[in-house]
Amino acid sequence: MKLLAIAKKEFARFFRDRRMVISMLIPGLLIFILYSVMGSALWDEEEHYQFRVYLSGESLATEQITSLAAASDWSVEYLPAEDIAAAEAAVEEGEATALVVFSPGFDEAVLAYDGGTAGATVEIVYNSSAEDSFAFYTLASNVLSNYRQAFYVLPSDRADETSLFSSLLGDVLPFLIVTLLFSSAMSITLESIAGEKERGTLATILVTPIKRSHLAFGKVLPLAGISLIGAISSFLGVMFSMPKLVGMSLSGLVGGYGFVSYLLLFLLILSIVPVIVSAIAAVSTSARSVKEASGYTSVLMIVVMLLSIVTGFVGEMGPWVYFVPILNAVAGMQAVLYMSISLWQALAAVAVNLVFSVLLVFLIARMLSSERIMFGK
Amino acid sequence: MTDEIVRAEALRKTFTLSRKQQKIERTSERRKVAVDGLSFSVHSGEIYGLLGPNGAGKTTTLRMLSTLISPDAGDATVAGHSIVHEPQAVRDHIGFMTGELKLEGFFTPDYLFDFFGALHGVERETLALRKRELFSRFGIDKFAEVRVQDLSTGMRQKVSLVIAIVHDPEVVIFDEPTNGLDVLTAKVVTDFLLELRRMGKSVLLSTHIFSLVEKLCDRVGIIVDGRMVQDGTLAAVCGQQTLEERFFALYEELKGEVV
Repeated sequence: MKLLAIAKKEFARFFRDRRMVISMLIPGLLIFILYSVMGSALWDEEEHYQFRVYLSGESLATEQITSLAAASDWSVEYLPAEDIAAAEAAVEEGEATALVVFSPGFDEAVLAYDGGTAGATVEIVYNSSAEDSFAFYTLASNVLSNYRQAFYVLPSDRADETSLFSSLLGDVLPFLIVTLLFSSAMSITLESIAGEKERGTLATILVTPIKRSHLAFGKVLPLAGISLIGAISSFLGVMFSMPKLVGMSLSGLVGGYGFVSYLLLFLLILSIVPVIVSAIAAVSTSARSVKEASGYTSVLMIVVMLLSIVTGFVGEMGPWVYFVPILNAVAGMQAVLYMSISLWQALAAVAVNLVFSVLLVFLIARMLSSERIMFGK
Repeated sequence: MTDEIVRAEALRKTFTLSRKQQKIERTSERRKVAVDGLSFSVHSGEIYGLLGPNGAGKTTTLRMLSTLISPDAGDATVAGHSIVHEPQAVRDHIGFMTGELKLEGFFTPDYLFDFFGALHGVERETLALRKRELFSRFGIDKFAEVRVQDLSTGMRQKVSLVIAIVHDPEVVIFDEPTNGLDVLTAKVVTDFLLELRRMGKSVLLSTHIFSLVEKLCDRVGIIVDGRMVQDGTLAAVCGQQTLEERFFALYEELKGEVV
């Protein structure tokens, strides 16, 4: 009952304050916008070019250039270059895309070539600072360097898109999730515990006949819930922008995983939240001010981030990792994404994290009853 | 009127001094005795004042009686419950107030009253009834829905006071009631304490302000260096002197000099 009163107050403090709610949801939105913009800058820059090219001399290569351009939905319009100097000026001024000058009898010279001194030249005048001009140059030189070759190289990349992605996600996502969770838990937990302690409002609660353990649980549980909201917002931001960032559809990205994978992933994420919140809460309880608490918390953040990043380097570390809080969930998430986790490993990780959180909450309760910590000057 | 609602017996509390504190206190002793075998009692329905200079051990004594800290030796009963053995029960019977206890500015008096009522385990109906009575008695009903952070200091003080007695405690313990308050807010507090006595509550307060004791207290205990120097009714303690004259006379007797 009293625990409920504390928990309800924590929720009320958060949900009745529009600014707190917005500041919790904004990171997800920002991530989404930022990643989407980065993604479109990376992938959507291919435009529909219409090349206007001055041509002097002739070669069948021009037809190959046109057909290759058409494959990318581009078009090439050849204009006869009657005055070379005027055509060059047009390219410099951006009125034409490029000027191509074939030496007389270009195709015959190429055909007659027997490995000695080359008898044919082709000159391309372009402007590398103009996107379309540079695109044309790349295209044309590609065609010309392969022109009249005895063979073509036909590349065919068979990398499975899902496994490509799972390796990308597997390395980045756990770290990202832990970091997002930590940052969303940090501000509210510091505020709710160190802030209340500093302002003297926690002491007002300590004077009432509430059990210290109820107070500790009444604080940590709602804070964990609220942090989870913030983390979910960030997570959705990542998930919806990731396909844009890497130029793939969402279903292609996550379609490779089944329901159990998602369930395990969610459970693992869920199990980190109370660990992080109770760790920050414990640090906040021992600190004398918000400033001091945020100092300790940044040290804590470094430790947590290290734990979440080492698995990326160390790889297979043996079953003991599942007994180290946070590290176990990170390794677990990674294993889920690489599709190599066993159920007991995931459940062991979740159980270890929950036990660790409960221990931390009892530590907080002990600190709340300590004279030196609560009333020491 | 003569039954003892609070009874302190040989309370003792020592603190470990840090290096820095040792320098400030100019001592090489690692431990400082804050309260040294203090005994006194508060009668039901009276206002009792603990009077003493800063550092005499007043705050420490009141914190022990409120079960915020525990004594090294000795014991005290509050409304029949031992502070050492039944701290939880003691907290049910006391309202504790100090300037250091604050209310969260984000919430309204109405919300906070219900919140602290729930923490004290007050029944919902009883709580609603008490809220109506106390809010109208102390004029809080006019700003019950205004956030505490938007209230004036005087209003805020009223809210703190009323919330301290949300659970209808028999004993109200008040550390330095008027410290740092402007004259108007201080009057809110003294009026409140007199009102509490009219309501039949017992009040234990600490102060270093002579006039406050003279104005409010039925009995007074003078503490110096964690020891009770003299206690009794104001008339018995002062005799023909004013409280201030009596205090400095006692202090000089004890320490040989005033400053």
